[in-house]
Amino acid sequence: MSDFVGAGRHEPPGASPRGARGMTVKYFATIRTYTGETGRHLDDAPADLRELLTTLAGRYGTSFRRAVFSGGELSGEIIILVNGRNVRYLQGLDTPLAADDEVSIFPMVAGG
Amino acid sequence: MFGWTGTILRVDLTKGEVTREATDPQLARDYLGARGLGGHIVSTEVDPTTDALGPDNKIVFAPGPLTGTFAPAAGRFNVVTKGPLNGVLAASNSGGTFGPELKYAGYDALVIEGKAAKPVYLWIRDHEVEIRDAAAVWGHNTPDTTDLVRAETDEDAKVSCIGPAGEHLSLISNIMNEMHRAAGRTGVGAVMGAKNLKAVAVFGSGPVKVADPEGFKAAVMKARQMIQAHPVGGTGLKAYGTDVLVNILNQTGALPTRNYQDGYFPTADKTGGESLAAKQLVRPKGCFSCIISCGRVSKVDNPAYAGYGEGPEYESAWSFGADCGIDDLDAITKANFLCNEYGLDTISLGSTIACAMELFERGIITTKDTDGVDLHFGNTAAMVEMVRKAGEGEGFGVKLAQGSYRLAESYGHPEFSMTVKKQEMPAYDPRGVQGIGLNYATGNRGGCHVRGYTIAIEVLQNGAVMDPHVTEGKAGLDITFQDLTAALDSSGACLFATFGIGGAELTEMLAALTGLDYTLDEFMLIGARIWNQERLWNLKAGFTKADDTLPERLLTEPIKTGPSKGEVNHLDQMLPEYYGLRGWDEDGVPTKAKLKELTL
Repeated sequence: MSDFVGAGRHEPPGASPRGARGMTVKYFATIRTYTGETGRHLDDAPADLRELLTTLAGRYGTSFRRAVFSGGELSGEIIILVNGRNVRYLQGLDTPLAADDEVSIFPMVAGG
Repeated sequence: MFGWTGTILRVDLTKGEVTREATDPQLARDYLGARGLGGHIVSTEVDPTTDALGPDNKIVFAPGPLTGTFAPAAGRFNVVTKGPLNGVLAASNSGGTFGPELKYAGYDALVIEGKAAKPVYLWIRDHEVEIRDAAAVWGHNTPDTTDLVRAETDEDAKVSCIGPAGEHLSLISNIMNEMHRAAGRTGVGAVMGAKNLKAVAVFGSGPVKVADPEGFKAAVMKARQMIQAHPVGGTGLKAYGTDVLVNILNQTGALPTRNYQDGYFPTADKTGGESLAAKQLVRPKGCFSCIISCGRVSKVDNPAYAGYGEGPEYESAWSFGADCGIDDLDAITKANFLCNEYGLDTISLGSTIACAMELFERGIITTKDTDGVDLHFGNTAAMVEMVRKAGEGEGFGVKLAQGSYRLAESYGHPEFSMTVKKQEMPAYDPRGVQGIGLNYATGNRGGCHVRGYTIAIEVLQNGAVMDPHVTEGKAGLDITFQDLTAALDSSGACLFATFGIGGAELTEMLAALTGLDYTLDEFMLIGARIWNQERLWNLKAGFTKADDTLPERLLTEPIKTGPSKGEVNHLDQMLPEYYGLRGWDEDGVPTKAKLKELTL
């Protein structure tokens, strides 16, 4: 078993040094068409993922909200990583967030 | 027979003879076609220890039963032979339109044996088969070869050919069809080159007979609707192509960087599918009967790297990108265009250049070895120049064209070759995704992702999810994917159809097409039979348990930065379970009971 089983959280990736600019949220693929930007930095980190996504849905509107939520839960067609870890292996929408976390939001993607 | 044509075409280039034989109905049922049926032909007719570039090797072009029908993405064929890169039973899967055309010409397989005394090409128009002089096309790149052969045959002919790389017997050369679609990996292009066979052109006008037309139509429409409703198969791949994977693999910490020295590339976004769509995409493109359209028709305006063609796929964007420490998408796409024209494997060549860059930075090689070129990581112009040299077979390019294992070994440092069974691994770092490491290690053709794409579950959340960092359950996951893929490859369908449908839908289409009572259990048994057929042949060729491993770097040297920092691959925790679940003994040899179960 990997040492990381159960450890859950990771350090933020190298692109956003700890403490440098607050929380980073990055958007990819079709999510960028809903946000109109590739990402943003937040000075004040929300307490958890649910609060973050609710705040972002308020900013970006219906298309973004429908992409990330399904009946108040995390949509099955969205992939969200906190510091590289899929939140489905953390605490889903209840995953706590820290000031220097990096959150990546993807639609379903694939290739090979 | 329904689904199959019932005929195998055989061409002996040494004797100049063309013969035909009936397709064995039981073999067709048990091995389907393409990779399975072609593998059966090679495994029973070619000595595993023979010289892959000698006249005794054979090369088989084979569509599957679904190929050429209106089943979704049913345009595939396989090239099966002994692969000269590493000596495995090689099967190279390609899309385009060549496979359906061979089927319409009336053939379940084209078996080419012997060696022509001088360069030739084959011209197949239904029952008419000619071995023609190729003096006028030898030496040309793949687009020019295609045009020249069509001018001499039929403007609607479908052409599979080699470029200069295959002629030079590059061990990482491809066979290209429709100019931009590749039958790649394991150096199959060199087998054609060694046989003095420049191209195969085919025009067919026959049907594919369907046993139950109404049932087949219903099964196909159901499958098409499922793919169209899927967020990936329906819209995602068409919008961004496979290169969309750059960012998610990077953000997961599993994007191999600078010859697998790291797993995170800070500027990877510049090379991803989003950037490609914004900067270079002319239009999406699909293969025969495709409703997914993952292909990219691309144009580079930058004068330094100007060009027009197809690509890059994710693997190529990675191999010439992050793996070489490069984030210039124009240069990456140019490298891809050149590989298509020379007929070179983009994964293997990009990884080989990355290996050379590491050798250069470590001082193992210098500008005296590289024809004066500074080969530091990130040197964009040098990367493109190395592609050209490999394609031309010029200077240091001669060494690059033999793959990274032979390159690194020639300087006394094979440990810097990122290969499994001497074949370059693709774009998923097994330290960040455990199961794909097991798949690489056990791959029957060496380092390869499309033999068991566990990434779909470990990273992409496609249908189910498994934590990429754990080893539990990965042996079973790998086997399921490997067997399913072996059967799918042999059916003639595209692997990407599974971004929407599964084995059940494939089985339903096959049953209605052929009139045989296929079940999902039989479909998976066929996959296991094909996997074990390949394993047995490789064992006879000299492979052992010791070859089921990963480069030492991935087992002992942790990823340095990014989300998977500190991780290594734990192959030792997965491999024994894999052997057990496969029904193999502790040396990785299939047991008699397993062979009996598989009727092998």
